[in-house]
Amino acid sequence: MADSTHDAWDLLPAYALDAVDDLERCTVERLLAADPAARRALDEYREVVAAFTVDTTPPAELRDAVMSRIAQGSTATPAERSGVDDGAWSGSDGETRSARSAGDENVVPLAGRRRRWGLVAAAAAAVVAVAVPTTVAIRATVEQDQLQQQVDTVAQMMADPSATLLRSEVAGGGQASVLVAGEDLLFSASDLPDVGAGSTYQLWLVGAEGGVTSAGLLDPEDGAVERLLQGVDGVGLAVSVEPEGGSQQPTTDPVVVLAQG
Amino acid sequence: MSIDLVCPVGHTVRVPPSETTPVDDALAACAGGTPDAFGPVYDALAPAAYGTALRVLRDPDHAAEVAQEVMVEVWQTAATYDPARASARTWVITLARRRAIDRVRAEQARRDRDQRDLDTNVTPSGHDVVAEDVEQRLEGAAVRRCLDSLTGTQREAVVDAYYGGRTYREVAERLGAALPTVKSRIRDGLIRLRDCLGVNHG
Repeated sequence: MADSTHDAWDLLPAYALDAVDDLERCTVERLLAADPAARRALDEYREVVAAFTVDTTPPAELRDAVMSRIAQGSTATPAERSGVDDGAWSGSDGETRSARSAGDENVVPLAGRRRRWGLVAAAAAAVVAVAVPTTVAIRATVEQDQLQQQVDTVAQMMADPSATLLRSEVAGGGQASVLVAGEDLLFSASDLPDVGAGSTYQLWLVGAEGGVTSAGLLDPEDGAVERLLQGVDGVGLAVSVEPEGGSQQPTTDPVVVLAQG
Repeated sequence: MSIDLVCPVGHTVRVPPSETTPVDDALAACAGGTPDAFGPVYDALAPAAYGTALRVLRDPDHAAEVAQEVMVEVWQTAATYDPARASARTWVITLARRRAIDRVRAEQARRDRDQRDLDTNVTPSGHDVVAEDVEQRLEGAAVRRCLDSLTGTQREAVVDAYYGGRTYREVAERLGAALPTVKSRIRDGLIRLRDCLGVNHG
């Protein structure tokens, strides 16, 4: 995947600054594991970042605290002390992050970190050639003239050679797709399980910069639902399960993300 | 479903060692050593750990806690330190920055810090407290001179990511700039800094 390798190289400087999200961190760490040149480049960027550091004398009691913890050895687990050597800076490249947090009550657990939306996009969506299933149909639940207009729009979208179809399984069950043609998005899902009373599916428009805005609630019939969004500025769609009535911003992780890039 | 991930990383090949400093050697010698051996290493490196944490967290108490965790971690994981890849100083700073950012990205620390900014940043007309920090703290340092070789937008993005502890996505939101644009500014900015500082691992 030349593209993702290129992306990972592009992200190395931001990674050196710890300015990437968790998914991007994984992308970069795959590159680092495979490519010594990338590790060398990272080491250079880290040296640059380190140059920003201005040494500051710590409080005197800090030395006693550290030296006494070391002398006790009580905080060192066998795994930590044995020094697992993966050649990629274990302990600083993320893969030992959770192990490091164990026994460290001051470090914020991962679960407490902020949800970052829109990041799953690149991994979740598969871009395929224009092969629009003819079964994509607009349900006859709208007024006739509006329906005709939507059918016309969908027909144009299907005829658009630059249109792309993104498809993905939905976490929890079902499939979803979105047909992207210019500024028009046709969302379609099927086999969605019932989320039960008190909850609803909510559709979100994913912006180019990762922000999300509500594109309305989804009310599947027999697990199927379609939604046409016209003239919108977004790179894709996402669905989450929200409390009844919907939310201003997602409050749960998406069950599916369909987005380009 | 969680989007916090732990990434599997495979085995790698080491590059040949280059020249090392006495601190590098002392840290490497801590692996399998006695706690006494760590004293000089602590003295040499704790100011870098504390300074790094303080810049990100801007709170002496938080910074001291992070520095303590980092220095204990340095002792515990000394066996994984590879002098061929980085100086001990850079290694410790990398660990400290990662931990400090973990913490600053927790909501409470963020709130504390933002409140601190509100409390202390009383200068009128939106004078940037972060830029001011750069000016003061890096006086005379090579990185200060090199920062001047960046374009205004590159410098802004790099400084915001460094001192703000922000992801480039958050930097983009804050600056109202497009995501790829900010990614490029950070990349090009760090490349310029690298070249200006003469960092070259061959």
